Amino acid sequence: MKKNLFAAIFASIFMFSATANAAVDAAKAEEFVQKVTKEGIEEIINANVSQSVKDERFEKLFNNALDLNFIGQFVLGRYWRTATAEQKKEFISAYRELNIKTWSQRFDEFKGKNFIFKGTTPSNSANQVFVNSVVPMDQGEPAKVVWRVKQTGDNFKIVDIIIENVSLAITARNEYTAYIKTAPGGIDDLIKDLQNKTKKA
Amino acid sequence: MRGIYSIFAACSLIALTTASCANPNDRTSSMPADEHPTLEAYNRKMFEFNYQVDKYILKPTAKGYRAITTPYIRERVNNALANIKEPISAFNHLLQGEIKESGINLSRLVINSTLGLAGMYDVAGGWGLKPSKAGFDETLAKWCIKDGPFIVLPLLGPATPRSTVGLAVDSLTNPVYLATLNAPADVKDKIYYGYSAVSVIALRESALDLLDDLERNSVDYYTTMRSAFLQNRQNQNCINGDENISYDFDFGFEEEDQIFDEMNN
Repeated sequence: MKKNLFAAIFASIFMFSATANAAVDAAKAEEFVQKVTKEGIEEIINANVSQSVKDERFEKLFNNALDLNFIGQFVLGRYWRTATAEQKKEFISAYRELNIKTWSQRFDEFKGKNFIFKGTTPSNSANQVFVNSVVPMDQGEPAKVVWRVKQTGDNFKIVDIIIENVSLAITARNEYTAYIKTAPGGIDDLIKDLQNKTKKA
Repeated sequence: MRGIYSIFAACSLIALTTASCANPNDRTSSMPADEHPTLEAYNRKMFEFNYQVDKYILKPTAKGYRAITTPYIRERVNNALANIKEPISAFNHLLQGEIKESGINLSRLVINSTLGLAGMYDVAGGWGLKPSKAGFDETLAKWCIKDGPFIVLPLLGPATPRSTVGLAVDSLTNPVYLATLNAPADVKDKIYYGYSAVSVIALRESALDLLDDLERNSVDYYTTMRSAFLQNRQNQNCINGDENISYDFDFGFEEEDQIFDEMNN
């Protein structure tokens, strides 16, 4: 009897700590991504407002939904550690601007499209989970879009978007670290280049 | 179970003739590895050559094709081209032990070639027989043949040794090639080159916006292409490999940089 009681207590403690470690609420993460995409489609892509209003709304949604500081740190790879505080700030802001500009120009491509959510997959990284979705295309097979979501307390942020297995974070990291490696001015050159691209876009 | 045996048999057959079957446990990091400097120097040169060919020949042709056609017409063309390739998918699904998928490819071929007017309309898709493409490259991946390094082929573009073998076998099993095997040489050439030209232009047209976007936004177009190409190929999993998702790289920091606290204020 005593043994059983001990086992029960042990089990409950163990289970409690297991759930505490998991720390990411997959169902809520999926709900979060659904909310973000719904807002994007209804309030921006399909909304009957001018492009400048759309841009404004998108910038707000983008800043609320994505953790650009976190992504930016990953994207710079080992160069993050050697960058000065000023460079870090400037890089994050240049990266943010370019992304917002790029995505804003793609609204029309997304007209009439919709996300169908397909549940979640656990991640090896702490407090993160993958939310799976597909986008039916006019032609051929549907496109696979996976959202990597990070939970901090009750707060959810998207930290990567994986389209047909291509992670935006990995692609940017490969590209930017390769660039810095050969650029004479290092990170400063990269920041300037990103700013120029934003202006031209 | 039967599927496993056929895979095993095929794997050992391939092992005798080409590379060895990869050990499923040696899946390395999910991120595209650093490139060997010599290979990178060659690849970048070839990439630049292809880029110029594309810029002055292929891309203008694809744009011209887009200008003189409507989306409706292009969809008919793409459907017809995809229909021609159904037997390739059926063949490869069979090699991968996916009998049902193979049957779906054949059903699609029969239905769409007739009721779908030479494949221009996807009638079968509307009946629930959804398209399911497969090529020999994917078959080799299922057989656990290693991919090899990234190489840029003249004119054909980004590739790996395995994708190159896949492409070659797909060409040899293409119905257009097989149907014209016994035709007189000049007729054969006309048909095959004509078919290839239409395929390439249609393919380039469908990628116009995507590639323009990619190029416009990247500071190192070659690295971006290489990274995206290699990542995209990671969905081809070995039959007895683990189910690790390729993009689940370690994405966490012990402590977030304190600069973020300043920035958020």
